[in-house]
Amino acid sequence: MIYLDHAAATPVSDKVLKAMKPFMTDDFFNPSSAYLPAARVRGMYEDAKNKIANFIGAKGNDLVITSGATEANMLACTAVSKTGKILVLETEHASVLENVKKYKYSTVKADKTGLINLTDLKAKLTDDVELVSVSLANNELGTIQPLAEISQILKEVRLSRLKKGITTQLLLHSDASQGLALIELNVARLGVDLMTLNAAKVCGPKGVGALYVGHGVRLNPVSMGGGQERGLRAGTENIAGVVGFATAIDAVKGHSTAARKKYTTLVKSLKSELEKAKVEPIFLGTPKHQLANFLPVSFPGLDAERLIFMLEEKEVYVSTGAACSASKGEPSHVLRAIGLSSKEIAGSLRISLGVLNNESNVKEAGKIIREVVDKEYARLYD
Amino acid sequence: MTKQNATVFLGMSGGVDSSVSAILLKEQGYKVVGVYMKNWSKDLPGMKCPWAEDLADAKRVAVKLGIDFMVFDFEKEYKQKVVDYMLGEFQAGRTPNPDIMCNEEIKFKLFFEEALKRGADYIATGHYAKSENGKLKLAKDDNKDQTYFLYRISKEAVEKTLFPLAELKKPEVKQIAAKHNLANAYKKESMGVCFVGDVGMKDFLREYIDLKPGEIRDADTEEVLGYHDGAVFYTIGQRHGLYVGGGLPYYVVKKDLKNNIVYVSKNLNNEELWTKEIVLESIFLRDPADLPKDGNILIRLRHRAPLVPATFKKDRVILGEEVKTIAAGQSVVFYHDDICLGGGIVKS
Repeated sequence: MIYLDHAAATPVSDKVLKAMKPFMTDDFFNPSSAYLPAARVRGMYEDAKNKIANFIGAKGNDLVITSGATEANMLACTAVSKTGKILVLETEHASVLENVKKYKYSTVKADKTGLINLTDLKAKLTDDVELVSVSLANNELGTIQPLAEISQILKEVRLSRLKKGITTQLLLHSDASQGLALIELNVARLGVDLMTLNAAKVCGPKGVGALYVGHGVRLNPVSMGGGQERGLRAGTENIAGVVGFATAIDAVKGHSTAARKKYTTLVKSLKSELEKAKVEPIFLGTPKHQLANFLPVSFPGLDAERLIFMLEEKEVYVSTGAACSASKGEPSHVLRAIGLSSKEIAGSLRISLGVLNNESNVKEAGKIIREVVDKEYARLYD
Repeated sequence: MTKQNATVFLGMSGGVDSSVSAILLKEQGYKVVGVYMKNWSKDLPGMKCPWAEDLADAKRVAVKLGIDFMVFDFEKEYKQKVVDYMLGEFQAGRTPNPDIMCNEEIKFKLFFEEALKRGADYIATGHYAKSENGKLKLAKDDNKDQTYFLYRISKEAVEKTLFPLAELKKPEVKQIAAKHNLANAYKKESMGVCFVGDVGMKDFLREYIDLKPGEIRDADTEEVLGYHDGAVFYTIGQRHGLYVGGGLPYYVVKKDLKNNIVYVSKNLNNEELWTKEIVLESIFLRDPADLPKDGNILIRLRHRAPLVPATFKKDRVILGEEVKTIAAGQSVVFYHDDICLGGGIVKS
């Protein structure tokens, strides 16, 4: 198997698995219980949360642990008041786009590479906007958004609102599901008020995520009960999951530069192989603002889904656009937003590298993809 | 025309039967074009319509076999011809069979016509049925035979339809799938409104028909036994889903749609539950010449029910012994030897 879909899922490492196991067996206690072993578990849970939080320059108490990025994105939206409006980048993941529909919202345009159009953002920042949601990096293109620049714009708007006597909040939320292992993050430096984290994309367990909640941000609980997670998400803590997440974070911490270097080289070799195909590939996005492990590519005129089934026969696994779109049966909204033609969208693959890749299997995969593309080309045109 | 240059458009649902049909047709030398019919894509509350996954499964098989593949979009027509018909029938207090309608109006009409227009010499489906000299016949696998659902399809369509599974039993079909490594095809069988099987007909109907509370009465004593949430959701002979507790089960024996009353009985011998004579309407005879002169035929009262002898006379079938009442709107299908003669719809 050659797995080239790390943006969809990542394998949990032995180390992570080992760290999680005791909390399902020996240390099974409910951290809310009063006796000592339970208190000890409570402590380990807090430690793990701290570790995750420290990774983005925050404290454990700033995090609300969730069942994943989708729930975190939903929770972030609750920061908005009844009269408030959300601005959301049009290329956001469905878990953001679908959740904002419960509120007043508008979309902000992206350019051809998937980067946010800051002029459009500024134009849409009316006085009723309370939340702006822009991902750290797009999940189909890997486009890294200029969060610091966006937060600077919001800061200026906040000031001008105050000058006008308007006290309406203006918050920045960022879904950082993609790119956590490749970009050093510091919420304070970035000026982000809410940030979504996802364990499953960094070799942590699925079903674990977190929302960083900055000071002064008020949210509405997703569940009520025992008051866990600052009362915002009641329910017994997923200790094993959070410990697994923390262990996964430990493994990537301090390695982002090396990882970027590794993937830049691998992507380069993959690109040069794909360029030899009979259908000239269009590489989407721009390397300058792209996660180093992403290679979204279109073979116009071909049917990407057919390519995936042909590749699957050879045990090479890639994705078309977002995996979610494939099961929805609709063309990717991201690829439409960046102005691709239907033909280009239909021929689009998302290749995302990760821990399972190395020089030799990437080279092998490149060759197989090229052969499959050539075979489809021959079927259609020869 | 030799098989080598004959083109077959095969309806592919992503399931094992149509996938194996593709393998067989290809092996027989036909030029096969796989077609996914997109008939329905609407989600229901708590139930995501799996059409895109089904489409992907069908396409995967097509790619694997190296056959062409396309999608025919019949969503508008399916809503009009099948779903609206079905809702209308339920609202009229009847119990329709949407699968029969889907075959008549969509698969063996629209799909058939569109396929011919695009150059097909034949169409094919993964139904267990046989087409021979223009006759619709029983499949070899009498446990899986699906002619009950096909009795109303046109003669023109039957003449140009191949049923590759005609001579196969289901276990053999599964074996072929396994041999070709089509493990992904081992999934639920597709039906007309395929998701209804998962959420239940009532949940589907509730999307379109408002709940309307009414009384459940004892058919013999008129005593009010309980309350229901809409008489249209109940079918004669139905035993489950009555909010009446304790003791022997109650059966629905009668519906008074005007007053929204459902009549039930514990008495399995209640005369409304049994019948020897079934009056039919919309009778469709495939070829009157095949009908025995004396009217003595075999009939099937529901899919997979045994064939039972009966006499067909003008607008009714008369049985040798009493059978459980068939709800109005359901179909009675006629047979003689292995030929499906046609059938009719039970009159109110």
